[in-house]
Amino acid sequence: MSKTTQAPKALRGVGNFIDDRFHLAKTGEKNLRKVFPNHWSFMLGEIALYSFIILLVTGVFLTLWFKPSMAEIVYDGSYERLQGVEMSEAYASTLYIDFDVRGGFLVRQIHHWAALIFVASLVVHMLRVFFTGAFRKPREINWLIGVGIFTIAIVEGLFGYSLPDDLPSGMGVRILQGVIMALPLVGTYISMFLFGGEFPGDVIITRLYMLHILLLPALLLALIVAHFMILWHQKHTQYPGTGKTNKTVVGTPMFPGFAVKAGGFFFFTFAVSAGLAGFVQVNPIHLFGPFTPTSITSGLQPDWYMGFLEGSLRIFPNTFDLSPFGYAIPTAVLVPGLGVMGLLFGGLAVWPFLEAWITGDRRAHNVADRPRNAPVRTALGVAGVTAYGVMWLAGSNDILSETFSIDLYLTTYIFRASIIVGPIIAFIVTKRICLGLQRRDRDTLEHGYESGVIQQLPSGEFIEVHKESSQDTVDALLSKPTITSTVLEEEVDDKGVESPHKRKPMGRLRRALAHWYTKDNVSFEGVEPHSGHHLHHSAEEKESAVH
Amino acid sequence: MTENNNNDNTEAGTGGPERVLGTPSSEAEESVVSSASTEAEHEGPYPASETHAHPEEVQRRGEKIASLWFVIAFLGGIGFLVSYFLFPPNAEDVPAIADPQIGQYSNMLLGGTLTIALFGIGAGMTVWARSVMPHYEVASPYDELPSSEEEKSSFGAFFMKGADESGFTRRPLMRRTLIAAMLPLGLAPIVLLRDTGPLPGDKLKNTAWENGVRMVVEGTHRFIKAEDLENSPNGMITALPFVPHGDGHGEGEEGEYTEEDFHLSLNEKAKSVIMLIKMPDGDFKSGMNEVVETVDGEERTRLNWTHNGIVAYSKICTHVGCPAALYERTTHRILCPCHQSTFDASNAAEVVFGPAHRPLPQLPIGVDDEGYLIATGDFPEAPGPTFWDYAKD
Amino acid sequence: MKWITARRRHPLAGYVVVILALALFGVGYAALAPTTDQAQAQTLAADAPSPEDVDVAEGRKIFDQTCATCHNYDGSGMRTEDGRVIGPDLREVGPAAVDFQVSTGRMPSANPDAQMPRKPMAMSEEDLVNLIAYYNAEIREGRSGADIPYDVPDTAPQRDEFSVNRADFDSEEEYHEAVEEAEAEYEAALEEYEAEYEAYIAGAEDTEMGMKLYLTNCAHCHSWSGGGGALTDGRWAPEIRDASPREIYEAMVSGPGAMPMFADTVIEPDEKQELISYVKTLQDEPNAGGVFDLARVGQVAEGFISWTIGLALIIACAIWITAKQRAHD
Repeated sequence: MSKTTQAPKALRGVGNFIDDRFHLAKTGEKNLRKVFPNHWSFMLGEIALYSFIILLVTGVFLTLWFKPSMAEIVYDGSYERLQGVEMSEAYASTLYIDFDVRGGFLVRQIHHWAALIFVASLVVHMLRVFFTGAFRKPREINWLIGVGIFTIAIVEGLFGYSLPDDLPSGMGVRILQGVIMALPLVGTYISMFLFGGEFPGDVIITRLYMLHILLLPALLLALIVAHFMILWHQKHTQYPGTGKTNKTVVGTPMFPGFAVKAGGFFFFTFAVSAGLAGFVQVNPIHLFGPFTPTSITSGLQPDWYMGFLEGSLRIFPNTFDLSPFGYAIPTAVLVPGLGVMGLLFGGLAVWPFLEAWITGDRRAHNVADRPRNAPVRTALGVAGVTAYGVMWLAGSNDILSETFSIDLYLTTYIFRASIIVGPIIAFIVTKRICLGLQRRDRDTLEHGYESGVIQQLPSGEFIEVHKESSQDTVDALLSKPTITSTVLEEEVDDKGVESPHKRKPMGRLRRALAHWYTKDNVSFEGVEPHSGHHLHHSAEEKESAVH
Repeated sequence: MTENNNNDNTEAGTGGPERVLGTPSSEAEESVVSSASTEAEHEGPYPASETHAHPEEVQRRGEKIASLWFVIAFLGGIGFLVSYFLFPPNAEDVPAIADPQIGQYSNMLLGGTLTIALFGIGAGMTVWARSVMPHYEVASPYDELPSSEEEKSSFGAFFMKGADESGFTRRPLMRRTLIAAMLPLGLAPIVLLRDTGPLPGDKLKNTAWENGVRMVVEGTHRFIKAEDLENSPNGMITALPFVPHGDGHGEGEEGEYTEEDFHLSLNEKAKSVIMLIKMPDGDFKSGMNEVVETVDGEERTRLNWTHNGIVAYSKICTHVGCPAALYERTTHRILCPCHQSTFDASNAAEVVFGPAHRPLPQLPIGVDDEGYLIATGDFPEAPGPTFWDYAKD
Repeated sequence: MKWITARRRHPLAGYVVVILALALFGVGYAALAPTTDQAQAQTLAADAPSPEDVDVAEGRKIFDQTCATCHNYDGSGMRTEDGRVIGPDLREVGPAAVDFQVSTGRMPSANPDAQMPRKPMAMSEEDLVNLIAYYNAEIREGRSGADIPYDVPDTAPQRDEFSVNRADFDSEEEYHEAVEEAEAEYEAALEEYEAEYEAYIAGAEDTEMGMKLYLTNCAHCHSWSGGGGALTDGRWAPEIRDASPREIYEAMVSGPGAMPMFADTVIEPDEKQELISYVKTLQDEPNAGGVFDLARVGQVAEGFISWTIGLALIIACAIWITAKQRAHD
């Protein structure tokens, strides 16, 4: 082991130079000592961060040649097949990036793959945060910022998809415009203002370009920085285990361990995007042909993150459309196009506060919930994922219909039914599974785990030998919080008078929700680790574990 | 987590205990302690109990593997630079990336080498962090989040004293006028956006179609005659209005129409594109008998808007505006490939499935003296995505 | 089994199981998924066969044996008693329709109710010529329906069409000679075909027109790539990658199945050439973005890959980085 205690002279020089001006020695050390819990699921957000950096870098490269202009020209560039074709300058300049700039095609594809991965990683990151309850106090604000990042990322992606002005991308804008037009009263006005006139007009790409490369990335960057600073200040949550409490976080320190790991992870993320971009063709706009409002292709799809909206537009019937006094209110556009979006982001944003309202929980949480230990939340999350998934699949129902030879209309009917039934089944099944897992946890705690070794007792009975779990496991299992709600406890106030709030509809609703949220749980009360029979457990004990 | 049970001695008969990655065994702890015999001279930044250093031979092996990855990355990086210069961007007689096949080679070479370079660095760093560096299990306190009551009340008192002294709370006239002064400025950005586009007016309701306007097949720039469709009893074709520039007689030599005359703006195309469908005899359904206008006291139906079995519908879906063009001649369904709104071409384009709000508008058509198909008027209502007042004049 | 039991509690065991399950699913799907039949109709683009070369009597025999069961002996079609069509009336469809249906293997069909996928042709090229001669002579009503566009190239000649049978020869030497001769004949035919194909494709000059015609009239069913798409009632628009220019042409003029017709008066032959050339050139173009084109399905496949390959690989790296370590590993 080398015994460097003093930094080399050059480094000290730089350090002193900075410290003379900023007084950073103490803060610097504190931050370099920051601890990161060591679990892969805490790195999902980093994928998003790194993808965002890749997007910024590759995006800057693309702007060097891209012309956000809708001026119509006749193509006369190096890509032979399309010579003589009328197209916009935006499309022509994208062809230029593909076929005249060395590495241009690669960078464009990295940009596209990284965008797809960016939003995907946001989704899995949010799911991790949701299912482990990491959005709870004190982290609600950061959750809201996350919802904001997710929303903007989707819009950012949609606009970027529209820029090359190829056939499918133009149709994406067309659908956007169609949805805007459906807004009662103001729809046509907003559309006219956004497009600078009728569809498609000659300014929309220029405007989307400004939004895509300036306004939205700036917002994203600001939100990401805020997200990161809050995270840094509050520190990560951590999974339960030995020594891991609400007061103490255990893991790898920033310097030197985590810095190297995170640095390596950036290169991995970049490598995967580059690998896909090198070998898997994505969004081949040169094959699609330029946009024209009169043409369309079968199997038209948006990028995956818009798929759920596409799907909801496909399955929502026109049965509920209204025509008061000859005016049109096409609910079949408004509800799936805007309502679903509002429901998704609104629901995500409201949940932390709703859950706190239901449970009356005002404590700060630094230890993450194991999803099974919050069965209603987990089941609700899975129900939401199911609804999203059904809409997402419905967005490709024509592809499914063709690939699996199912009647196109039948797929629509199936999705209409499953959007209602699917989440309900998912909720029930997930909750059952969670409770089952809780029971297993209780068993493990009491009896240790099944060792896989079968022994025959003198009586002739066969049993599986149980072994004691490790301390870490025991601590993790013991950390199971009791799901309670203060709403249910406050039966009477300290003077013995029933709270008047309870009689009001809001109070009753709150009590009902609290009951629903807490009623099913396997109690660990009175369970002593490894107190049960070490050799076997009988059926009665299993029964008794059920609360 | 909990699955990482300590399963020492699980295996009967495999000899030594078989341990699994991620399960600190009693043995491991012992060896920590044994390495902690050097605790006195522990020099790391974190306490020895939180630093699990690897034995020297593991570190040495790790160093070798990490270096190997870095060498691979280096070669990949060199390869990337070489690949860049391998194919010129645009050159005569030499393979250039403008040729899709060469482009593919170039893309795969660049992408492949870049991937190797990036992955090599990532893998090398991971090996470095995992095998050369000690494994840290550092505990660190979470910050106490709420400030102490004392700090809070001190801050509150300070803030209110300052606010009072500034006069903001005590001088309402000044406060209110300041707020009033801000209001118009807050509205300014919204007002400034007014010129981003014109008001809708009746732009969305009028198209280039009017009585006498001829039809051109999109792409071929040829006028189409009613008899052209005679030979295809189940025919369909996409057509656009012909709106010549200038006096309407063509500006080319001898009054011929030029390319320019056939040019139509995307805005106009987006509104006026139609699908011509030749319906076999007797396939029209009752919806076509709907009375749609009264000319000179004579009631006229949708059938009067067709010509010889040829019917014209707007091609733009009334849902959100995709071209609804997927026409099945056997069922006469027109399907929109975007969201599967389905219209019955034989029955006034009535919506038979999907989310569309209303039928596709029908264009009244006829023929001129020379037998060319013409429109005899504009669409009866606005084509395209359904909006609030599409049906109002 | 012991090996598995020993490792089933390994922290990575779960991931291994998931990966195996996914792999199994993928392989299973690949095995079950319908594969595209390679079309193997074989005629050269040529002039119409001269009357001496055809055998109308032979054609009648083929018609009576393979077609008449559903289409009746006079080609007038057949219906069940309740009026359901078993085989449609052929008298006005024209020879282009017959040639299209037979050469793409859709006819003769075993199930008149179902849409037929593309298949290898059921009869020999010679039989088809005779069948069409018989159709023209006896069944077709006047000049109704579209003629076969003989100047548009059909599919490439196949090697097995030129094969020789060992039994026909006495000596090994003669046989080898014949094989070589047949090979040379095949090469020549192929070359001739390719030249003709090239000429037809290159004869189109106006990409703008071809593209507009294809994208405004074809792509909404057959997709921008010619990959096909879904229709209503379980029907589908077939993919047209394997279709020869002549088959595409015939489909346009005869309107098979639910497809509307595009007569030569509406889209003239040279305009059709532009259209066919556009889609064929597009389909033959190598993928500049990499060898994997995801069957040119587009965004659905891309989204699928970004999750299953992209995100999954990155997460695998994260698992490697953070995998728990024994203190002295």
